[in-house]
Amino acid sequence: MKVLWSWLLELCDLDRVPTVEEGARALTRGGLEVEGMTDLGAGFRGVVVAEVVGKQPHPKSDKLTLVDVITERGGAATQVVCGANNVPEPGGRVLWAQIGAVLPNGMTLAPKEVRGVVSPGMLCSEDELGLGADHSGIIVLDAADRTPLGAPGQRALGLDDWLLELNAPANRGDVLGHLGVARELAAMLNGKLVWPDTDLAAHRGGAAPVAYRIAIADPDACPRYTARAIEGVRVGPSPVRIAQRLRGVGVRPISNLVDITNYVMFELGQPLHAFDAATLETNIIGVTPAADGERFQTLDGVERALVAGDLVIRDRDRAIALAGVMGGLATEVTDKTTRVLLEAASFRAVTVRRTGRRLGLRSEASLRFERGVDPELAEIASARAARLMCELAGGTVAGDVFDAYPGARRTPAIVVRMPRVRMLSGMPLDVATSRDALARLGFQVGGGEADGPIGEPADGAADGAAGGSADGAAGEDQTLRVTPPSARADVTREVDVIEEIVRVVGYEQVGATIPTLRQAPGVRPANAAELARAALANAGASEAITFAYQSVERNAALGLPATDRRAQPIAIQNPMSADQAVMRTSLLPNLLAAVARNGSHGRPDVALFEVGSVFLRRGEGAPDQPIRELADEPVWVAGVVAGRRPAQIGLGAPYDVFDAKALALVVVRAIAGSDAAVRTQPARDISYLHPGVAGQLVLSGPIVFGWFGEVHPAVRARLGVDGAVYAFELELARIPLAPPPQMRPIPRFPGSARDVSLLLGDAIPAGRVEEVIAEAGEALVSRVRLLEEYRDAKLGEGQKSMLWSIEYRSPERTLTDVEVDRAHEAIVARLVDALPAQRR
Amino acid sequence: MGADQLIASLEQLGNEFQEAIRPLADEQAIRAAQAQFLGKKGKVSEVMKELSRLPPADRPLVGAAVNRVKADIEEHVARRLRELADAVARADLARAVDVTLPARPAGGGHLHLLTQVRLESVQIFAELGFVVAEGPQIETDWHTFEALGTPKDHPARDMQDTFYVSDEIVLRSHTSPVQIRTMQTQAPPIRIVAPGHVFRRDDDATHSPMFTQLEGLAVDEGISFADLKGVLIHYVSRFFARDLTVRFRPSYFPFVEPGAEVDMQCSFCMGKSTSCRLCKGTGWLEIGGSGMVDPVVFGHVGIDAERYTGFAFGMGLERMAMLRNGVDNIKFYYEGDLRFLEQF
Repeated sequence: MKVLWSWLLELCDLDRVPTVEEGARALTRGGLEVEGMTDLGAGFRGVVVAEVVGKQPHPKSDKLTLVDVITERGGAATQVVCGANNVPEPGGRVLWAQIGAVLPNGMTLAPKEVRGVVSPGMLCSEDELGLGADHSGIIVLDAADRTPLGAPGQRALGLDDWLLELNAPANRGDVLGHLGVARELAAMLNGKLVWPDTDLAAHRGGAAPVAYRIAIADPDACPRYTARAIEGVRVGPSPVRIAQRLRGVGVRPISNLVDITNYVMFELGQPLHAFDAATLETNIIGVTPAADGERFQTLDGVERALVAGDLVIRDRDRAIALAGVMGGLATEVTDKTTRVLLEAASFRAVTVRRTGRRLGLRSEASLRFERGVDPELAEIASARAARLMCELAGGTVAGDVFDAYPGARRTPAIVVRMPRVRMLSGMPLDVATSRDALARLGFQVGGGEADGPIGEPADGAADGAAGGSADGAAGEDQTLRVTPPSARADVTREVDVIEEIVRVVGYEQVGATIPTLRQAPGVRPANAAELARAALANAGASEAITFAYQSVERNAALGLPATDRRAQPIAIQNPMSADQAVMRTSLLPNLLAAVARNGSHGRPDVALFEVGSVFLRRGEGAPDQPIRELADEPVWVAGVVAGRRPAQIGLGAPYDVFDAKALALVVVRAIAGSDAAVRTQPARDISYLHPGVAGQLVLSGPIVFGWFGEVHPAVRARLGVDGAVYAFELELARIPLAPPPQMRPIPRFPGSARDVSLLLGDAIPAGRVEEVIAEAGEALVSRVRLLEEYRDAKLGEGQKSMLWSIEYRSPERTLTDVEVDRAHEAIVARLVDALPAQRR
Repeated sequence: MGADQLIASLEQLGNEFQEAIRPLADEQAIRAAQAQFLGKKGKVSEVMKELSRLPPADRPLVGAAVNRVKADIEEHVARRLRELADAVARADLARAVDVTLPARPAGGGHLHLLTQVRLESVQIFAELGFVVAEGPQIETDWHTFEALGTPKDHPARDMQDTFYVSDEIVLRSHTSPVQIRTMQTQAPPIRIVAPGHVFRRDDDATHSPMFTQLEGLAVDEGISFADLKGVLIHYVSRFFARDLTVRFRPSYFPFVEPGAEVDMQCSFCMGKSTSCRLCKGTGWLEIGGSGMVDPVVFGHVGIDAERYTGFAFGMGLERMAMLRNGVDNIKFYYEGDLRFLEQF
């Protein structure tokens, strides 16, 4: 919302004129944040108001004029060369850019010879002062302009002003006009609001030539509609001051009639529409719903198809305006208009909003209706605009306003309990302070007498603070009966009034306390996600956080079968780009893309992980349809390693699949306390992992809780990764959180180890050997380690050799060799039989 | 041989042994030499055999000489071993390593800056009794808007341009639906913080379509606006580890009343520069929205708004890290770029 400082001051009665900075601070403090301030006159300097006292043709050019100007009454004249053809006769006033003046294009004026005559500066056009595109002639000030000679040009142009950019809260339709902002400014600076002049006594003409009848179909959709006839207007340009104010707030001046409707809208916040009364066919103005498929040509010349929810203004049956959004082409005012029918109405916010949205039409008018326009304003704004049309376009007001106000409402006073005010604010507020704050905002306040207890007694803490509240103990339970001004439709409840009081008193006056804890915060379970993050970072991987959405292509890069839930991502219906097409179903594609990105930055050595949600469709429903219920959002942990491990000196060893496995187990240990229960099985059919270099991680149940392996070459190629990448992914919820670990006795007796060397088939995994040892159920086994694994030609094709060491230990005594040998031989026999294997 | 001769040859053996072990440099050789002299068939034993032939009166004298020689030899052995050990220790201390060589890599991973900021923030609120709550990122329109006082067609819906996945389901545009879910399932007193990802159709140097909010909610009897101020002022001074002024500015959010925007004193120029890049010369940095829970919200979740009051606040963690750690473009957070991640 743009407001002009001069305009605000015009609508306020203040003890002292504040600086614009003081004003901005006051508004911000009250909740109308001033986001920007622009000095409208900053574009140029050294340009002054001058009067023409003589002119003669340039001796060497027909197109140039030598103009004598003065900047003080009786002062010496200076001759300026001017190329414009509209130099006024003596007595006319112009804007003279003197030597040293700086113009918006950056030029600094110096004496300049023009066809043999030296010119000390120049007389300025609008174009040269950055005011508009008009360079057909110099600016000639209005005869009525009273700016003194020699004053800065800014003053004559209405540019000795500041534009404030306000952030208007969504519930404050009332501040979308200068009047509402002035109400705030006056309240914050303890002044009074000054209403603009709406007196029509001097402009009354005869009776209205036509007696208009207003027919509102639905008072909810249109609580009020006023129409007023103004006769005998002459269309022309607006005075500089009106035009400049409109330009200041970002509206292009068009003609006096249109400009006045805009001016009053910016002044009061009430959108207006002027019909050319001569184009109306009947005296019946209807406000009715559109028919589905009805067509209507708006004043921008576009023919639009309406639907049943739209509200239109009708001239009997013909649509003449789209209520609150835009007028019609057929009835708009033109250069030839002499009779105006002025509409000032109020329309339901939702209706205007829906129509505007659907048609992609957001106007200054619809913006205001969408936030709510006070129905009480309609008649005031109508009178204000009528007065200006009479003053500036020479019209007379014909008869009274035609006013249909079926939605008139008396809202009951809001009961405000002082104890509640004090409790909610945490401030020791008394009746006098509260009354004063509300009165400054134009609220009517009744009550305040001690009329018996309501609600709970005042809070003791509030009583004690900020010594000596004005009303004594007798006033503690008082209530106020508060009626907000009609403009403040946002204030309907006690709590709204409390906000108003605290706002005017000042949020900075509220103390700062820490609420006492009335309970122990509930049981706080260890957070598996945080444990995983900390463990992975400690293990040398860095955490990435990537977007929860991605492109269709990136989602598809894993090459999952169509039946997999992860291949049926949830689509975003209104993405901003193709990268936001679907929600991610796996963490891996983004991490792999990050590997590629780091590689392109010259960082081929990467160890990254992410802990985050993926989004899966729940239950039934076609995979290409929008979801009907919320998604499953399981948290996964995934990591990728590529390139080489860090080394002390020189290149480290390349990462391999066991680095990925190690990181996966780091997570398991961090959450479950131990990875002893984890079994690894080869996984040949994970679409995004190399079929020969992939494993699944299993906990008893059996529960598959994750995978690791080399990323399938085709998958990484799709995501732009050149070299091998190893990855893991774990579903967090499937890893049980360990209870606090319980101490086991420290072994008091030595263990003894026995080795066994096995010759076995290459395809038998190490995990199988561990399984067979475990299945033997030998209670004395305390540790199993693989000491050596190799293949060579001597062993024969498809064979490998493994050297395992098994340690035996009893918690009760030192084992004898005989006992150990007996246990060991039993296990070896099982291995030979079950794997099968030969003992070497 | 007479006693004198025997004694002389014993002493001779002692000297001989001393000579024999002088060049020996390892314990094994020294022990072997010791055995040559003191073993069962050693040289001293040979001499001892002569002892029986001596007259009994001379025997004690010679016996004493034998013991002397034995003791001498043992002492020589001990001394020589000690010398050797000392030499080894001296030699070891002569070693030198270039300790300016690089360290062996250990650890080296980094928690994401946003994770660090989140954990620190949660910790600060935890000290005041707030516990972490969570909710889904794909959320119903009702939890995200309706229950928070923003029905469809409410102008405040313009404040947040929302991503939809169906007519009634959205990517949550703020963490406030966690307030609703918490109050639906838990009776007051309530004190939660809810960090999480949120989504808005907005994309520039300071806005990302996905970002992280931290929501706070306290509901109890007698919770006041002053309590809200106290808690947030405490948080800001703890998080920035500096005594920064916090400003509460009236503002509107449909789910709080009174509502306040929270600004803090510019941590970069401390409000002293009119040309500050960070605060643009205003001296203030906006960090979040807050206010007292609106009775409409309590109505939706069945909490008695007469008995209980509450406050709520929300802030962007990306922004907090930008202000504290100088991150100057929000996109860096999500790119997985190690050049960024490894800085924190």
